Amino acid sequence: MYGAECIAMILAGGQGSRLGALTRNIAKPAVSFGGKYRIIDFTLSNCTHSGISTVGVLTQYRPFELNTYIGNGSPWDLDRSRGGVHILPPYQKSGEGEWYCGTANAVYQNIGFIERFSPGYVLILSGDHIYKMHYGKMLEFHKGTGTVGTIGVLRVPVAEASRFGIMETDTSSRITAFWEKPKEPKGNLASMGVYIFEWQVLREYLMLDALDPASQNDFGKNIIPRMLSAGEKLSAYTFDGYWRDVGTPESLWEANMDLLAMPPRFDLYDADWPILRRAENLPPHFVGANARVLDSILAEGCRMYGTAEKSVLSMDTTVLEGATVSHSVLLPGAVVGQGARVENAILGRGARVSRSAQIRPQKDGEIAVVESETP
Amino acid sequence: MQNAMGLLLTNAGGGLRELCAERTGASLPVCGHYRLIDFALSAMANSAITNVAVLTGKQCASLFSYLGAGEAWDLRRQTGGLHILPPQGVGAAFYTDDVRTLSESIPYLAKSRQRLVVLARANTVCNVNFSRAIAFHKEKEADVTVLCHAGRTNPSRHFVLEADREGRVEKMALDPHHAEGRFFGMGMYILSKSLLIDLLAGAKEAGVCGSLEELFLHYRGSLRIYVHTEEGRVWTVDSPRAYFEMHMGLLDEKIQSTLFRGKEEIFTRAGQYAPTRYGEAAEVHHSIVADGCMLEGRAENCIFSGGVHLGKNAHLKNCIVMEKTYIDADCRAENVIFDKNCLMRAGRHLAGTPSYPLVVRKGAII
Repeated sequence: MYGAECIAMILAGGQGSRLGALTRNIAKPAVSFGGKYRIIDFTLSNCTHSGISTVGVLTQYRPFELNTYIGNGSPWDLDRSRGGVHILPPYQKSGEGEWYCGTANAVYQNIGFIERFSPGYVLILSGDHIYKMHYGKMLEFHKGTGTVGTIGVLRVPVAEASRFGIMETDTSSRITAFWEKPKEPKGNLASMGVYIFEWQVLREYLMLDALDPASQNDFGKNIIPRMLSAGEKLSAYTFDGYWRDVGTPESLWEANMDLLAMPPRFDLYDADWPILRRAENLPPHFVGANARVLDSILAEGCRMYGTAEKSVLSMDTTVLEGATVSHSVLLPGAVVGQGARVENAILGRGARVSRSAQIRPQKDGEIAVVESETP
Repeated sequence: MQNAMGLLLTNAGGGLRELCAERTGASLPVCGHYRLIDFALSAMANSAITNVAVLTGKQCASLFSYLGAGEAWDLRRQTGGLHILPPQGVGAAFYTDDVRTLSESIPYLAKSRQRLVVLARANTVCNVNFSRAIAFHKEKEADVTVLCHAGRTNPSRHFVLEADREGRVEKMALDPHHAEGRFFGMGMYILSKSLLIDLLAGAKEAGVCGSLEELFLHYRGSLRIYVHTEEGRVWTVDSPRAYFEMHMGLLDEKIQSTLFRGKEEIFTRAGQYAPTRYGEAAEVHHSIVADGCMLEGRAENCIFSGGVHLGKNAHLKNCIVMEKTYIDADCRAENVIFDKNCLMRAGRHLAGTPSYPLVVRKGAII
């Protein structure tokens, strides 16, 4: 069987429940971003450009659209005869089958898959972050540390630190302390949810963790703390690029707005690191005779007859005559009726704003959310 | 699955002049992010015709890399699928002469299993499904069925036919002085594979060469030829003016909708551009825009392909701008077709007229 030095396991099973109405019907990694992409495109493109060609995608919540979207992996050059992308849903074993009940449990249940490739290293990734990263560089760094695992980290604003795994390191990047979502964080060096482990060591800890009925089978809450208390040496690899966990409608809106800054805070137009995606076969977008489009991004298939400013209009959206969209994000297929006004909002997939409606947040500083209508 | 295979001719003839100076007709970019060949290929795919041979001539390198193995049109198959047939013979005549080009396909035809051939030029823009025409061809026991349009769209009066109430052809003429006939050929034909091989072999023996239409004209006495009308919009792209007029016509949203948003899709190979960005002072109206553009200036009635840059205060009217062309600040252009990778330096002005659009060659610096 084909062996790979490092294989990637992408955790794409969660609902992303904080996205609320926007993920009622699809898994979070399948949610649209940047007009024409899906959140998982970033992780998949990162794998391809980093030379990682064996990728397991762990799906669970409403996976149909995500699975169909990934398909055989050809848009990301992951349709390979050796390795390639594999969708890994929970499955029945003889006697029993279980759902994935934690991030570590999902990987534990797929030890058989990983073993087929006898990798030296396993890269654990999440399918719901927006960032460009060369995992090969992190792997080289990890090899140089001589530790059993390396955690990708970045500095976050102190006010948000309690949402992340926070750690402390010494001068040689060795992790000295780790707290998962601490109520009172002692630092702001946060885990990105990107981990590289020596496979044999990870395998051992996954098996140990599976035997512990009190464990929540989670990397951040259980595996990493267990490794540290057993005296295993872990390192931190600092990432200093743009990174967003677009886990709430507000953060999804903000990250889309970041694309409109001049220069954009996150560059989708990087010829050295194109974001690959499965194409939808839509015609080019059309701007009507009386339309006005300023400071905005329009994706293919969009039909623009009204006004847009400082907004992101995704694929196949429609803004009818007399309607205005400002400081807003329209997810694919959304329609804004004649004369309507949409401000500081995010419209879900297929959402419909009726003629002359006014959509704006209830309070300053908030974002209005209009639910998806696509089943 | 149809008992029919497809055969595409990619040479669009000399009429396209500068637009095909460095490419074969089938590769010509259309409507932002399509290529001319997408329409015929999509028609094949939508008609469940999965064995499609593409006859190529000169300057087909970009066509080869565009077609790949036919994945974009679902024509990458174990059985049948897309087959590119480059020219095997020698001599310039092989590149422009339909009859001799088609003779190249005989070995491939002979080993294909399908009984019928749908023969099409790749320079027809339309959204058709051949199923009805194939059923008609069988019902009438026709030798050759000529797909025609009703002449509502572009006035290509190249092949004009008259037929009786049953559709049986009474008269055919090429580029006639007075167009005597109600039917206008679309450059698409249905005939049996064995008949096509016979006609080509007969032509070789008799020293007949030239266009496909000339071949049918030569043999008309011994063939049951029928016309079948396709209802939708059809454009034959055979000159810069026809190309320009078609695009100006495509700016009508209803026409875009029938062509691109019907039950049958027009498949194309997708590019890798990020979505288009409009600047703070952009004033773009009544235009079709592909991905990857940066639009900071003014445009009306324009079609932009991927990766085009329109500088601040530049003003384009009735222009077609192909991939990665850079129009710098303060430029003016009207009735111009810009090929790919052109650079128009700041403050320059260019104008053509609707009947004589100006064509700027690939890579030109103005």
